[in-house]
Amino acid sequence: MTLSIELMKLRRTGYIPAFLAGGILASAFPLANMIFRAEIFTGLPGNPYGILMRANWQMMGMINVLISVCGACIMYHTEYSDNGAQKMDVLPVRAEYLFLWKFLITVFALAIVTVIEQITIFGCALYWYPGYETAVSDFIKGAVFQWAIVFPTVMLMLLISSACNNMWISLGIGVILLFIMSILPEDNFILNLFPFCSPFQTFEEVSQNGRIPLFLSICSSETVLFGAGEELYQKIRRAVQ
Amino acid sequence: MNYISLLCVELKKIHRSKIMLILLIPVIIMWIPSIINADYNFDTKGIPISPENNFFIQGFMGMVWFMIPATIVICTVLLTQTERANNGIVKMLSLPVNTVKLCLAKFTVLFLLSLIQMVLAVAAYYFCALIASGIQDYPFFLELPEVAGTVAGIYVGTVPMAAVFWMIAVIIRKPIFSVGIGLASIVPSVLIINTKIWFLYPMSYPFYLLMVEYGKDAKGIYETEISWIPWLPAAILIMAAALCISCLKFGSSERR
Repeated sequence: MTLSIELMKLRRTGYIPAFLAGGILASAFPLANMIFRAEIFTGLPGNPYGILMRANWQMMGMINVLISVCGACIMYHTEYSDNGAQKMDVLPVRAEYLFLWKFLITVFALAIVTVIEQITIFGCALYWYPGYETAVSDFIKGAVFQWAIVFPTVMLMLLISSACNNMWISLGIGVILLFIMSILPEDNFILNLFPFCSPFQTFEEVSQNGRIPLFLSICSSETVLFGAGEELYQKIRRAVQ
Repeated sequence: MNYISLLCVELKKIHRSKIMLILLIPVIIMWIPSIINADYNFDTKGIPISPENNFFIQGFMGMVWFMIPATIVICTVLLTQTERANNGIVKMLSLPVNTVKLCLAKFTVLFLLSLIQMVLAVAAYYFCALIASGIQDYPFFLELPEVAGTVAGIYVGTVPMAAVFWMIAVIIRKPIFSVGIGLASIVPSVLIINTKIWFLYPMSYPFYLLMVEYGKDAKGIYETEISWIPWLPAAILIMAAALCISCLKFGSSERR
């Protein structure tokens, strides 16, 4: 029941079209790179999928993070503008469940975005590298990994948005966190596990270092941790209000 | 109401918005890695640049590329949402106030907030250069006129971009699209400054100006002279068009 309410709230915010547009825009990077300067990339040694991910994922990952930040801000903006959140408080609905549904919707929307992006990358690899052979399982592995490493960022961003009544503050915090993570040194492995930094990692590079299980377990524990943070925040909010 | 009093009203509206914190935090944070890694400035990897110029350029790079445009987008959200909450904009439009002046007053606020951030950035630069000089025992300071000149140039370069972001915020009412387009348009600017049509893309102007400064300090990195001729007319045209559209469209959906 609450899922349908959450979806209804988002119906007129343009949430799903915005995510789709984000996925299409992100896919434009590898396409533009291959259409205008394919010779730079086709000459490189190595796995075509890895080459394309290395060349484009920094920007595509950035689009994914930006769209998650925007999405989280909008989800709670619809609650806080016109005091929707107060009205939800008097209904027999727990704020934590609302949060959880919002998380699931964002994650689902991100899945669509990631699939669009990965299809483009694999499509470019198959088209511009004749003789490149890949299996559906590679596609699924890559897509699931790139999708899962954005979870902590989404969870943290939703937590921030649920705590800030004003959209510019949650947006500001999100953008500042992204900025901080972008100026920190990239080669530090511990920093790469942090939210806002993990979405920029690529399946190829992480699997070469044999860190896929580590990344997935750390990212899922971060996600659970931030989810628990929201639970705690709601408890405090109810106690204080 | 004349323009100045409208501007004062607009500044009062954002008085308690905590926007100053959002302007200040990135300015301070951007220098922390520069201080910690101050010794990297001596290892220029074969690029002919002096350590003090390297410190300045590297510190400002992330700021100019990402944070300045993103801050302007955040400020447009602030300016539009403070009005839309509780239908403030409807009340403003029912007063005998010229909407063009109101729109320009709001744009001026955007412009002032960006100016404040630039001044804070220069102040933070000197403060951090002081700390880095103390740690490394090497003077990282550049002359104030040089720093102020470069930063002022970058600031003027952000104005057409601010006008475009303001236009997007005025004509697109759904915040997810206005914010999303604003933030997403920052990402390709790194690619666009290396193409021939960079002057048609206002989001790349500040980064272009910093790269030209980099080119002047380190020969061979980028162009050493600003190509005024396609740039200046294009920038003025884009800015004028964006401001005209935003003035015409301001409040149109509320007046319907």
